[in-house]
Amino acid sequence: MPMPEYLNTSQPGMPDEIFRLLRDFIYEHSGIFFSDNKKAQLENRLALRLKMNNLPDFDKYYYMLKYDPQASRELRALFDSVTTNETSFFRSPPQIQAFQEKALPEILEKRAAQGEKILRLWSAGCSTGDEPYTLGMVVREVLGEKTPEWDVKIFASDISEKALKSARAAVYNDYTLRSVPPDIKKKYFIQEGSQFRVCDDVRMLVELQYLNFNDDKRVKLMRGFDIIFCRNVLIYFDDAAKKRFVSQLYDNLNPGGYLFIGHSESLHNISRAFKLVHFPGALGYKKE
Amino acid sequence: MERMILQTIRHLEDLPTLPSVAVEVMGLSRSPDVSIKDISECIHKDPPLAAKVLKMANSSFYRRGSQDIDTLHRAILLMGLNEVINITTSVSVLTSLGSRKSQGQSLRKKFWHHCIATGLIARRIDTRLRLRLQGREFVGGLLHDIGKIILDEYFHDQFMQAHSLSIERQCSMFEAENEVLGATHMEIGHFLAQKWGLPPYIADVSLNHHRPQDARFKDITSVVSIANLLAKAKELSCGGDTMSFVLKDQQGWHILKKMGHPMDSIDLERITFEIEDIGEEVKEYISTISDQEIQEHAHA
Repeated sequence: MPMPEYLNTSQPGMPDEIFRLLRDFIYEHSGIFFSDNKKAQLENRLALRLKMNNLPDFDKYYYMLKYDPQASRELRALFDSVTTNETSFFRSPPQIQAFQEKALPEILEKRAAQGEKILRLWSAGCSTGDEPYTLGMVVREVLGEKTPEWDVKIFASDISEKALKSARAAVYNDYTLRSVPPDIKKKYFIQEGSQFRVCDDVRMLVELQYLNFNDDKRVKLMRGFDIIFCRNVLIYFDDAAKKRFVSQLYDNLNPGGYLFIGHSESLHNISRAFKLVHFPGALGYKKE
Repeated sequence: MERMILQTIRHLEDLPTLPSVAVEVMGLSRSPDVSIKDISECIHKDPPLAAKVLKMANSSFYRRGSQDIDTLHRAILLMGLNEVINITTSVSVLTSLGSRKSQGQSLRKKFWHHCIATGLIARRIDTRLRLRLQGREFVGGLLHDIGKIILDEYFHDQFMQAHSLSIERQCSMFEAENEVLGATHMEIGHFLAQKWGLPPYIADVSLNHHRPQDARFKDITSVVSIANLLAKAKELSCGGDTMSFVLKDQQGWHILKKMGHPMDSIDLERITFEIEDIGEEVKEYISTISDQEIQEHAHA
């Protein structure tokens, strides 16, 4: 009997040893960690890289990355394929939960005690706006009736004008909303046909702007933040640039503030300035 | 004055007991000139226990080579006396506590999940830091919360009340236990470990895993205290105490650092990410330890 088409991919499998070598290589170069349960995901993503490089198996691909002098070009393509170039509302729920239940209440309490009801957040690398609007919804949920007493601003920056344009429109499809709890969806989105528009109460909290992280002068001006989300951005920097940028983010934070990076991203070897905080199911970096 | 609840427990007549062979093995292990033959013959006196020890020795947790370990004698030769005693201890305690009546409850399942995860994480820390705790960190992690089983079994309603209180107040289980029951799972675990004649480090870990600075076995207890937190951070906890923490501020961390271990070189992020995969290992351990398969073999 002929093999069904979907089985006949002739894609070579990724042996466990090669998975571990590739995983360590990617972690060392990008700070992103693929746990065992993401093996299939990595395999799928890299299958295309294999094809593009005309290589027969993952073994050869690994050796090319490691020893080919031209490999830095491939590295970039590899990072592009391993980071989901896709963002969605309430992405990485444990991180959002850590923000909602731990980091944000802690900051709000401190601010209220100081008598300054000001909250400043920065979604650094906000893409199409899913992240800053998510943060806005969570802030409104946490503040509840007290929202009018607070001066809340969520700065959201990106280098892509195209992404910013769609962030400004704030209209999304059902798929992007797949992780949004039903009550939140009802409360903060307005359905327009098959699309969903973020309500004005949330939009007014968010200030979108173009920012290139290489523009040191402008990045320096981003001051006084309580919490910064900078998820899956660092992967595009080399080590030296990463160190510089992360130390800049540290300066951009208020004392007691938090930095959240991607769910399986690491600052080990990049910065020792922050205190690593273990939240249930998520990590955060605190400036003391 | 001794705490009320400890007095009550002391007089409970149906407290679980350890298999007598396990008690004997632990006694033998303390004698300086014990032989491989002594230990293997002793374990063989309890065939179901011997079968479980062999099954565990052949599981992915302990097995190193590709050869089957078909006798206890061989197990001791290949793995060393300490590991075989470790296995005998954990298997006996888990069998004694695991067959209790409220076993099927989901909270109890979570409880064992947490204990096994703590043991496995402790073992990873031991490997990473080259502490050479010889598997005692695993047994310590596995058994650090045995006091909770006794509380759940004999003081179920109050224990549940403490559980709810810890969730409501976001406080640790032992604080809630102290308030509701007037004693903590650490004290109860310590009592049980002593009553059963478990190795002293297990009694120590039971009592001090939230205060490693008070422990006699500081290295084992510190490792378990850290592993316990990491297991909780992965939401494998059975209490309401899913608090956030800074590992580098923990007593256990300071103690290990003071002992000269290279704590700053540990990639904490990576260890944390690696723990994401621990659920599978936990399941495997549970299926290795559970009676079912052995019983099926026996009936085949």
